Amino acid sequence: MSKKKDVNFYFSAKEIAEERTIDPAAQEMIVKAVEDGVETVWERLAKQQPQCGYGQMGICCTNCAMGPCRIDPFGNGPDKGVCGATEDTIVARNLATMLATGAASHSDHGREIVEVAYETALGKTQGYEITDVEKLKRVATEYGIDTDRSKEEIARDLALAMLEEFGTIKNSIQLVERAPEPRKELWRNLNIMPRSVDREIVEIMHRVHMGVDTDYVNILLQALRASLSDGWGGSMMATEFSDILFGTPEPKESWVNLGVLSHDEVNIVLHGHNPVLSEMIVKASRDPELVALAKEKGAKGINPVGMCCTGNELLVRQGVPIAGNMLNQEMALVTGAVEAMVVDYQCISPASQRLPSATIPR
Amino acid sequence: MKTVFVNPERCIGCRHCEVACAIEHSQTKEVLTVFFEDPLPQPRIHVEPGIDFTTFPNKCRHCNPAPCMQACPTGALYRDGTTGSVLLDGYKCIACSMCAIVCPFDVITFHKTWNIKVEHEINFKCDHCVERQARGEVPACVEACKTDALIFGEINELTKQGRQDFTLRLTSNAGRVDETPSLPASVKMSRDMNAKLSKFSPLE
Repeated sequence: MSKKKDVNFYFSAKEIAEERTIDPAAQEMIVKAVEDGVETVWERLAKQQPQCGYGQMGICCTNCAMGPCRIDPFGNGPDKGVCGATEDTIVARNLATMLATGAASHSDHGREIVEVAYETALGKTQGYEITDVEKLKRVATEYGIDTDRSKEEIARDLALAMLEEFGTIKNSIQLVERAPEPRKELWRNLNIMPRSVDREIVEIMHRVHMGVDTDYVNILLQALRASLSDGWGGSMMATEFSDILFGTPEPKESWVNLGVLSHDEVNIVLHGHNPVLSEMIVKASRDPELVALAKEKGAKGINPVGMCCTGNELLVRQGVPIAGNMLNQEMALVTGAVEAMVVDYQCISPASQRLPSATIPR
Repeated sequence: MKTVFVNPERCIGCRHCEVACAIEHSQTKEVLTVFFEDPLPQPRIHVEPGIDFTTFPNKCRHCNPAPCMQACPTGALYRDGTTGSVLLDGYKCIACSMCAIVCPFDVITFHKTWNIKVEHEINFKCDHCVERQARGEVPACVEACKTDALIFGEINELTKQGRQDFTLRLTSNAGRVDETPSLPASVKMSRDMNAKLSKFSPLE
């Protein structure tokens, strides 16, 4: 009578774990989660199978109140939405919306880094400093900023120049000039040179609105323009000022997988995408007073470990070991060895907050 | 007797069962490639709108005795000994449509299929996913249904569940003056809402 195929019926916990990952450390935790009956990302994926065909094909439109509409892929039912949008229009609008979401999150991350740099230049922050002055001067030169001044003055003007480009009316982004000339020529010919970071994202949201852009080629060209405004704008600003604030990365040796969690130290998992918060936690974890406090309480020290893209930022700049990718976040909590998971944003599963060990104060 | 039991009130009209059915019986069995196939895969289950925004996923009920089998002049339709399902030998089908004429549910359509190499369209009915059943899986439409509007199981087990629910409602009403056992509040609200919304429905 049960309609759902129960994986536990077919496999032992170990077989399930081997099916899910090749990483032996994560396998151990999957076995523990399965045996403890803890629901994780894989159980939820199984329950979603098969996933909605309309969603996968992108032929469902929820953009206006006359809908939701969808196209019949079998060719017997509706071939247009109520407004008349064809499958090409609907697919292009849905794809453009997804790209706008991605560009917005990358670029807003960039904006926050530049804002922190600006506040730091004004002396309004604690803990942050201008670390890579050489890189600061190099980027400032591209923006035509006088570098024969104090690093704070240069950083202030560079941060302001970048922040201005999020909503600029000058209709260009300086860092785009780094692209090779033939590539820029191609973008100019397609009329997709990005004009500002925020504007291109807003224009996507405008164009996918009911009754605006219906030409799928034109919609996709705008999606490309917004992608360029992110890749050569917001995201690139994030990289440049992260390096200026926290140091430019160089090759490092470190450790990877859940094995980086320690048996006898205070484990702090730093998860998310933006180094602004996690860099400060790493700094604090090296503070002699805090380390002494941890030792006084019986631990051997403080062990910050990275996860997901915040983990990468910390790995390349601080050599902090990385516990895993986005799929490992629940596994880290399942160990029961994590004292705190400090998160910023992006890829933070709502499920992580609900796992038992995430709520038990330790 | 195992069957695909329909709980019409739980059907939200998402047509996920149709997509899953077409993919299951396709050549490539992949959502992103099936719609490039020739002939284009089709569903064998049909979600039709009723009144008050209700929908009904209609498919072959695998009747016994089956009118379609009785009407088929070439014996193309036969009963599967293991599952009791009404199946088709595509090469015997002469596309006379007698089966569709006598079908009490009008769920027999005619299409070309990739695995029966004939030039004409043939009977295109639900095969009860007998291959999936042989592997211990439920039919594709049932697996795809996320609201349990479609459930696969022993018919007597499935109706027993409904009977028990009815008994609970009946006994919880004992000694009261209501004419019928009261409905759960959520079901009543859902029905009332659909009745109000349907005033705006094009079908009204």
